[in-house]
Amino acid sequence: MTAEPQANQTTTLGYMRRSPAGVVLTLLTVMAAALWFFPIYWAVITSLRSDEDTVTDFGLLPADPTLKSYIFDIVHSELPIWYLNSTLTAVGVTVAVVAMSACTGYAISQLRFPGRMLLWGTILASFMVPVTALMVNHFIIMADVGLLNTHLGIILPMLLHPVTVIVYKQFFDGLPKEFREAAVMDGATELQVFTRVFLPMNWGVTTALAIITFIGAWNAFLWPFLVAQDEKMMTVTVGIAAVQDAFGVAYGRVLAGAVLGSLPVALAYLLFQRRVTQAIALSAGIKG
Amino acid sequence: MASVELTQITKSFGALDVIRGLDLKVEDGSFCALLGPSGCGKSTLLRMIAGLETVTGGSVRIGDRDVTQAEPKSRGVAMVFQSYALYPHLTVADNIAFSLSLAGAPKAQQKASVARVAQMLQLEPLLERRPAQLSGGQRQRVAIGRALVRDPEVFLFDEPLSNLDALLRVQMRLELARLHNDLKSTMIYVTHDQVEAMTLADRIVVLDRGVIRQVGAPWELYNRPANRFVAGFIGSPAMNFLKGQACQVADGLQVTLQGGVQILLPARAMTAFDGARAVELGIRPEHLRITTVDGAQIAGRASVVEYLGNTSYAYVDTPQGTLIVEADDQNRLHPGDAVGLSLSGQAAHVFDETGAAWPALAT
Repeated sequence: MTAEPQANQTTTLGYMRRSPAGVVLTLLTVMAAALWFFPIYWAVITSLRSDEDTVTDFGLLPADPTLKSYIFDIVHSELPIWYLNSTLTAVGVTVAVVAMSACTGYAISQLRFPGRMLLWGTILASFMVPVTALMVNHFIIMADVGLLNTHLGIILPMLLHPVTVIVYKQFFDGLPKEFREAAVMDGATELQVFTRVFLPMNWGVTTALAIITFIGAWNAFLWPFLVAQDEKMMTVTVGIAAVQDAFGVAYGRVLAGAVLGSLPVALAYLLFQRRVTQAIALSAGIKG
Repeated sequence: MASVELTQITKSFGALDVIRGLDLKVEDGSFCALLGPSGCGKSTLLRMIAGLETVTGGSVRIGDRDVTQAEPKSRGVAMVFQSYALYPHLTVADNIAFSLSLAGAPKAQQKASVARVAQMLQLEPLLERRPAQLSGGQRQRVAIGRALVRDPEVFLFDEPLSNLDALLRVQMRLELARLHNDLKSTMIYVTHDQVEAMTLADRIVVLDRGVIRQVGAPWELYNRPANRFVAGFIGSPAMNFLKGQACQVADGLQVTLQGGVQILLPARAMTAFDGARAVELGIRPEHLRITTVDGAQIAGRASVVEYLGNTSYAYVDTPQGTLIVEADDQNRLHPGDAVGLSLSGQAAHVFDETGAAWPALAT
């Protein structure tokens, strides 16, 4: 009985694949994907060309591929340190954002305390203020407390992440109250209900939010650019932008830096594609 | 094991009074069912005993302890939820051992307790599975196991069988009855299903809008309902009610139904009165007899006939309203058949204007 609808479905899909509209649609999609992918491809192959070849060789594959640009970047710039800085700040932001958002989301969703709705309203209202509008304030505060050119100075203002709080709250709201009550009956304290029941039931969401937060933090440019003025404190994105001038018209080196800078994010996308999609879906309705 | 005693207990949600000054004692080792329609407050009452709901007024005692303000975990009760509330990220064994793990019990003790409970509930082959890999009945058994492992003084069940299909429900009912026989623990069981209450409980508490309408053994509730609500709620199909005028006669009570039908009933335990009083006569479908139409006390026509295999129920439209009558194989009816009915006065219940029953003196 179950085989029949499957067979029908296959037939329908087969028909769609063969139909002229389906063929046109597929061709258009492939063309759009190629158009989107071409600059990335061009960046990668240019980074594999020598300085001379970048202005003479315009083939789709490098005639004489070389890793010179990559080696030059790694040896003659602070790229390893920028990598370390990016890793420290992105991991720091991810851990702190996920931990704080989970706790806040749980508290607003499950606990009843004075000021709960005020807190929730504040978090929702924080959407109305674009982060860029706060940058000057953040900069002055960080300068006043002496956190310019420090990892903490980069991390702290990036912890404003209402979306993750909202996603967590919505998720916790959706869980049947019986789970909490069963845990309470079993003798769990509030912290145990959170850490041993609600969070573990939620690892999928937590992983998805962690990945998307990490990618966002790694790709962040404006705030790290403002706060990390010392070359040794720059993140990858800031560092690469800063040294473009130093490299002059050495496109191979600039693009090699760009490829190296985006490598962790690309890897994260490739490895956790499903989770990233899930996270985007979770927060899509909120971000609008 | 322990008794549960509720004294003048009340619960309000804002201006809404859900439980209104209720007194109840559940004896040590008894199986008590809280029965009532949706919204009558039975689940709220159970949650108040569990400590999941605060008490607006009155007190809750479990054994010799006043637990009105006590935390759920220190009340010595365990609860089985309607939705089972099994933790989906834990295996069956971890679900059962969860309370022990929270209490910091050694691993060996946890393992031994899980093994004991698993054996009792035939869960051994399922211990490494997760709840999503279990059937409804298996989940229910795990939920019971999770309660059982804590060795509580009182078990609380909140409509535990309502998510199961009919066949499984009967099977789980038997298992619960067996469990109670083995453990002899105090069990309080919330249900809106009278069959569950009647078959499992030794005492049933019938609730209606936050007040107890009657407490008694299943037999007592069925045969001696204290009021019209209980009479109408207990029994499936429901009792028939016929409006009439009652007057006292020398050898009992005479009720004149609409349409002039007169029925003589045995004497009733109620204050003597003069003249006639409006009453309602209650008679169960099995106490109505099908006769020939000619000379029948009540005549009507069958509109619907429900065939149940061992018996059938006919809905007969009469001048007194629609009456439900049980018809056996010898009296097979079909929709549209003309039906004569006669009432057995001995089995009839009488309810006055307030809905209170006038119990027969002889019974």
